[in-house]
Amino acid sequence: MNILYVEDNKINAMVMDKMLSKENSQVTIAKNGLEALEIVKKEIPDLILLDINLGKNQMDGCEVLKKLQDLEIAKSTPVFAVTAYAMPNDEHRFKNIGFDQYFSKPVNFTKLLTEIKKLKI
Amino acid sequence: MIVLNTKGIIAQLNKRFDNSFQSDTLYIGKPLQNFVLDKYEAILKEIINKVASGETILKQHLKFPTNTSKGILTLRLDFYLEDTHIYAVGTDVTQDDKERQALEAISALGKIAAWYYNPITEELFWSRECYKMHGIDPNDTDRDEKGFYNYAEEIQERAKKYLYELLETKQRYDYIETVTKQGAKTYLRIAAEPVLHNNKIIFVNGTVADVTERQEYIEQLKESEETKRLALKGIRSGLFDHMIETNMVYYSPSFRRMLGLPLKEEFLPEEEFRKMIHPEDVEAALTRHLENLEKEDAYYFNYYRLRHLDGEYLHYEVYGYCKKDANGHTTRMIGNLINVNERKKSEQTVLRNQRHLQAIINNGFVYTFLLDANGNILMTDEASAKIIVKDFNINPNKVSVRFMDILPLNFKNTYADSFNEALKGHISRKEVERVTSQGHSQWLEVKYTPITDDTGSVTAVLISSLDITEQKMAEIAIKEAHLKEQELNSFKTNILANFSHEIRTPLNGIMAISQLLITEEDAEERNKLLAYLDESKDRLLETVTNLSNFSEIEAIKTNLNLTKCDLNFTVESSFREYDHLAEVKALDYKLILDKSSPKVAIDEQLFRTAFNNIVHNAIKYTQEGTITVSIATDETRTNALISVKDTGIGMEAANLTKIFDPFVQESIGMSRKYEGTGIGLSLSKRYIEILNGSIEVNSELAKGSEFIIKLPLYS
Repeated sequence: MNILYVEDNKINAMVMDKMLSKENSQVTIAKNGLEALEIVKKEIPDLILLDINLGKNQMDGCEVLKKLQDLEIAKSTPVFAVTAYAMPNDEHRFKNIGFDQYFSKPVNFTKLLTEIKKLKI
Repeated sequence: MIVLNTKGIIAQLNKRFDNSFQSDTLYIGKPLQNFVLDKYEAILKEIINKVASGETILKQHLKFPTNTSKGILTLRLDFYLEDTHIYAVGTDVTQDDKERQALEAISALGKIAAWYYNPITEELFWSRECYKMHGIDPNDTDRDEKGFYNYAEEIQERAKKYLYELLETKQRYDYIETVTKQGAKTYLRIAAEPVLHNNKIIFVNGTVADVTERQEYIEQLKESEETKRLALKGIRSGLFDHMIETNMVYYSPSFRRMLGLPLKEEFLPEEEFRKMIHPEDVEAALTRHLENLEKEDAYYFNYYRLRHLDGEYLHYEVYGYCKKDANGHTTRMIGNLINVNERKKSEQTVLRNQRHLQAIINNGFVYTFLLDANGNILMTDEASAKIIVKDFNINPNKVSVRFMDILPLNFKNTYADSFNEALKGHISRKEVERVTSQGHSQWLEVKYTPITDDTGSVTAVLISSLDITEQKMAEIAIKEAHLKEQELNSFKTNILANFSHEIRTPLNGIMAISQLLITEEDAEERNKLLAYLDESKDRLLETVTNLSNFSEIEAIKTNLNLTKCDLNFTVESSFREYDHLAEVKALDYKLILDKSSPKVAIDEQLFRTAFNNIVHNAIKYTQEGTITVSIATDETRTNALISVKDTGIGMEAANLTKIFDPFVQESIGMSRKYEGTGIGLSLSKRYIEILNGSIEVNSELAKGSEFIIKLPLYS
């Protein structure tokens, strides 16, 4: 399974890669939105994990999702929000704009892996 | 002829006498008294006494009972004394007397007297009652001879004329004659009927009846008929009759009862009556009275207060009808006095209520209009009336004015809607903003209330408006405050969200690495992970340390959204927000922009919070005068200067330094509280300082203050 993880924090990107690799998934890391869009244009992944805060003066996760929706990628490919924004209304807010799943940081990997397994079947 | 001795004993009778009686009775030697009817005994005895003493008595009627078919014999006898004997000589008048008796009997039954006329003998006979009716003593007259001469001279001719006419026409007659009997007017009804034999009048039977009472009754009837007629013209009941010539007034019993006049006296001089009129009314009432009598038409109307028995004055109205003579002078006035006290009272109550209503209308609301169902103004308050008089030169309390016509154009539609709703019986409320003649803005809550009659149909609409400018302003201020609080709340939420984000990000690494370490068996990998863990831990610690040092101002600083702004535009939009407040206080509220359109790099929201606060305070502490907001740049073109100058209460120099002291509650912390509409000046100062600016203040007690905000120009 090809998974694209868009994350500006190196450690967080690294640990995700380690976690998912163990479960036989190919993880590609994109440091920001533009990189992510370049990647999906070449090859559409099976799953996209999107951080929201991608650093100052960068597209945030919501804008990236919008682009993916415009490219009609989000239609066939599930997009999960993986973010440190964890205020009470955030899950609703993100799912509302089109994220298929929402995972707050620190990520509950058991739960994340369960959702990924569902996609494989 | 009978011869009697002086004792009345019959001495001799002649043959004729004997024949008359046709009886076998022996008369000689017996007193004549024994042979007359009982009622003549005394008369006869007296006659004999008188004649015995030498007197002569003529034409004395005496009645004698007989055994013949004649029945009672009536003799007319003359008595005289001859030597020692009394001679009674006479004729048998039985036949005549029967008629007479019958007539007299009829006369005695009623106030009718009988008479007859014998055209053959030309004899006119009057019964005793006839004489009495004509005021003549029947005893001291020669009834047979006098005939027509019995009539008083003035009526003799008329009596003859009627009788002779009858003799010619053979028709009965009947007329009323007036005679004066002992100075009193008497009405006699004289009737006659001919008795015919072979179409010749052989006799005339007549009657005389005293109809004075009846005639008077008829006269009275005529008069009361007139009274009734006049009364009907004068309307209603409770009559009085004013004889103008004698100035006497007849008062009906109900009238006397009404006024407490003595019930016994029917007439009262007008002057007496006048005394009962209220002293304040008497002059005007008298003037009206005379005008009424002199005017051409016959209708009379007057009004005054009259004193009642208990001393209380009550309101009366007089409706009447005047009877005029040929010259048009009133001779008599039939009036009808009506107690209108209750009506008058209710009129006064209505008037009082109307005054109360006017008072309510004048003082209860700002503008009040009472409209009829057609939309015409029935009543309005004085202030509204003044405005309408000023604008349209019409007083709606005096002249009928359509409300629609005096409304400003922009109100006509809402009015028409609400008025139509009111006509359907619905109450409606509208808030409208109007501009006063001084150009101030005034907020009104206008209520349309339908007013219905007994049947429930709408007859009038009350439009009342309350001045809600202050409430409206307060409402606006509260809204603003709410907005600001919301802004600040979301600001705090953002800060909190950022804090949360900053902690969760490194925490994610730490937790994931910890999890990986549990299962990682490769030593090299483990060391690598432990190094990452250390790095993440350091980052988290740094974040937490930063957070504990994070003051609010710093939070604001880090969240500043600096943008390039046109200061003219920014200041003007803030300035406009307080238009209303300044208008309500009728302040001269001026804005002077800088032609060079200075640009500054500011967080607009933060600047507005600081600036609005200063403007708001300026208005709040200024009761009259001018508020001037002006924008300028300094000579070196490095700073923009925003001045807020007022003519308010000002401050003492000693207090100037204190005004910027921070208050705990003015921090943006959780306990932050708005005082009314603004946040403290200290906060304004700190916000401006965050924007690299500064605030200065100059003030003079009772003269005003000037706040100058200095901001670096954008370069």
